[in-house]
Amino acid sequence: MAPSNTRKQFIAIALTLAGAIFASGVRNADAAGVHSQQSATAPAPPDPAAQTSANKRATKLVTDETGRHMAIPLNVERVVSLAPNLTETIYALGLDAKLAGDTTYCDIPPAAKNKPHIGAPQDPSLEAIVALHPDLVLATTSINRAETADALLKIGVPVYTSDPHTMAGMLSATATMADLLGASEQGATLVAALQKRLDALHAALQDRPMAHVLFVVWEDPLISIGQNTFIADALRWAGAESIIVANQNWPQVSMEEVVRLQPDYIVLTSDHLAAETHEHVNNLRDRPTWRELRAVELGHVAMASDEFTRPSPGLVDAIEALARELHPEAFSTSAAALAPNDTQRTVGAGLRPAPTTANELAFLHFALGRMPMEPSTCAR
Amino acid sequence: MRPLTPRRILAICGMLAVILFVVVVISLRVGAYPISMRDIVITLYNGAVGNGDSSEFSQVILGLRLPRIALGILVGAALSTSGAGFQALLRNPLADPYVLGVSSGAALGAMLSLIIAPHVVGAIQIAAFIGAAATIAAVYFLGRRGGQLDSATLLLAGIIAASFLSAIIIFLLTLVNGPGLRSMTFWLMGDLTAPPPTQNVLGWFGFLYFVFIVAAGAMYTTSSDLNLILTGEQEAGHLGVNVTRVKLVVYVAASVLTGLAVSVSGTIGYVGLLVPHVMRMLFGTDYRLLIPTSAIGGAIVIVLADTLGRTIVAPTELPVGAMTALAGAPVFIYLMRRRIR
Repeated sequence: MAPSNTRKQFIAIALTLAGAIFASGVRNADAAGVHSQQSATAPAPPDPAAQTSANKRATKLVTDETGRHMAIPLNVERVVSLAPNLTETIYALGLDAKLAGDTTYCDIPPAAKNKPHIGAPQDPSLEAIVALHPDLVLATTSINRAETADALLKIGVPVYTSDPHTMAGMLSATATMADLLGASEQGATLVAALQKRLDALHAALQDRPMAHVLFVVWEDPLISIGQNTFIADALRWAGAESIIVANQNWPQVSMEEVVRLQPDYIVLTSDHLAAETHEHVNNLRDRPTWRELRAVELGHVAMASDEFTRPSPGLVDAIEALARELHPEAFSTSAAALAPNDTQRTVGAGLRPAPTTANELAFLHFALGRMPMEPSTCAR
Repeated sequence: MRPLTPRRILAICGMLAVILFVVVVISLRVGAYPISMRDIVITLYNGAVGNGDSSEFSQVILGLRLPRIALGILVGAALSTSGAGFQALLRNPLADPYVLGVSSGAALGAMLSLIIAPHVVGAIQIAAFIGAAATIAAVYFLGRRGGQLDSATLLLAGIIAASFLSAIIIFLLTLVNGPGLRSMTFWLMGDLTAPPPTQNVLGWFGFLYFVFIVAAGAMYTTSSDLNLILTGEQEAGHLGVNVTRVKLVVYVAASVLTGLAVSVSGTIGYVGLLVPHVMRMLFGTDYRLLIPTSAIGGAIVIVLADTLGRTIVAPTELPVGAMTALAGAPVFIYLMRRRIR
């Protein structure tokens, strides 16, 4: 039996390979047609639960910041946010009535915690998103996976993904979001106000030398930032330059390198409130190597609010707060010129419901054998 | 033991298929989006007659749940079948694509293709297959001692290969920047949520199932010979079995199946190990029965695990790989203990 049987088996395997090659050719052709098909696809018509609304709605074709094409209703009534910074932006635009749902991580402002949740930003339930009947879903490259947007677009749910790398990018993304949600004026007002505050900062700091800082995303293992992150740009607005030169976005840094570079300031981010800064400095003073750093000896440890890791309007608050900490002398006279709400925000009392950037990052490092990972709530 | 007639094979497979059907119905029914059974049937009917609309029902059922179930069936069946194949090929009951490092090899191949040629459709599948085949070849040769396959040496070789390949994957991950990294990390945990890479979803699944049926079919044609080989290679040779050819067919087919599964779902552990063992305990060691029952059993396990993964922590989802490892690791230990006694 062996010879004839095995010949059949080899023919079968040859067929498999031929099929694979054939199919890959077919699928290449498909891939070429994807964009035109997607932009031609009509947006999701009204859901069964909202049959009262018009059967067909006017849409516009939009290309998002990742190059995906989609049709978005002109009149967006229900939006689902897939990231904390997007939720915060929606609230800052005063459009929270349109926010149909957000993620379990969305905690700023505290009211966002009461919206229906669709899961965590990286692994949301697509069904839960559809169940909220969104006209538009907002995502960002800083925390969401490309697969989520792809899968939703495939079933006809428009997903606009923003991709900010700088403060300017954050501001323009904010304006675009406002446009998509039919609130261009609010968007222009908000962006102008934020820009004004940034300009004021720039004016106050332009004669000051840049503070050389070590931005600590996580302490153990020590993770800092690369130059192409929006955090590096935000630091520059606060009059600071990261001492770490790395092409990677979230480089793991050796303590030796930090000792060699001797930063002027150490900037920590966490969800710790400002009151704990003092305690934190003392902690660093107890740790070997850290306590020998000049910045720690001098008590030059600044605490940035966790908004520093979220590209949203609140980031400007965080930049202002950090600028004051790093360059107090620049603000001794002009402090009154700044907006009154630039002081520390209260981030809801008590325990935070969701794992934070840093905790999650550290855990993943641990679980994956300290593999350098992207922190979840930081942009690329 | 009762003689194994084609009728008995059909009866057992039919019974398992009914269980799979029940699991599929449950999986279609439960989820974050509430849909009644009646609406599911109507939506499925409309979809089947080409009358699909873009209502939310069809978005959820036809767009989300059904493709995921179809992928789960494919991945579970492919991993279990290849696990059964590797267990025969290496004559080691602990062999499985994950333990032997074959999944890691396939993952490394897929990752390299993502880095080198990210936009070539189908490149991932071929690269994953090459990675799987190369790894099992290396493990096979490393696992020999004095010309004989040695159980302990083979397992050691597999574990070493797996950790070595994981180290290379981690090294590659440090080179990759941006959102791609996040997707890859998810993918290494085993995940069924990635959408098909083309607009032609039916064609895509047709291709995947075609490859599966050809590879699993090729393995099935060797099942009588495999039974003889398992009693001893020399004895099988005396009985007219072309041992080298049979092993080559099983080797290629099992690698194709592993590459197929890993390329669409990442590395999902323990299914390939456990399902064939459970099927052996239930229905005996005859490969004519073991291969089809493993395929259906693997499909049941993955669809069930994925359904649990997307419901127990709703609205967040657990990757299916985490679910199978959670349940699989204790069973693996149990099987090992039983073997030692």
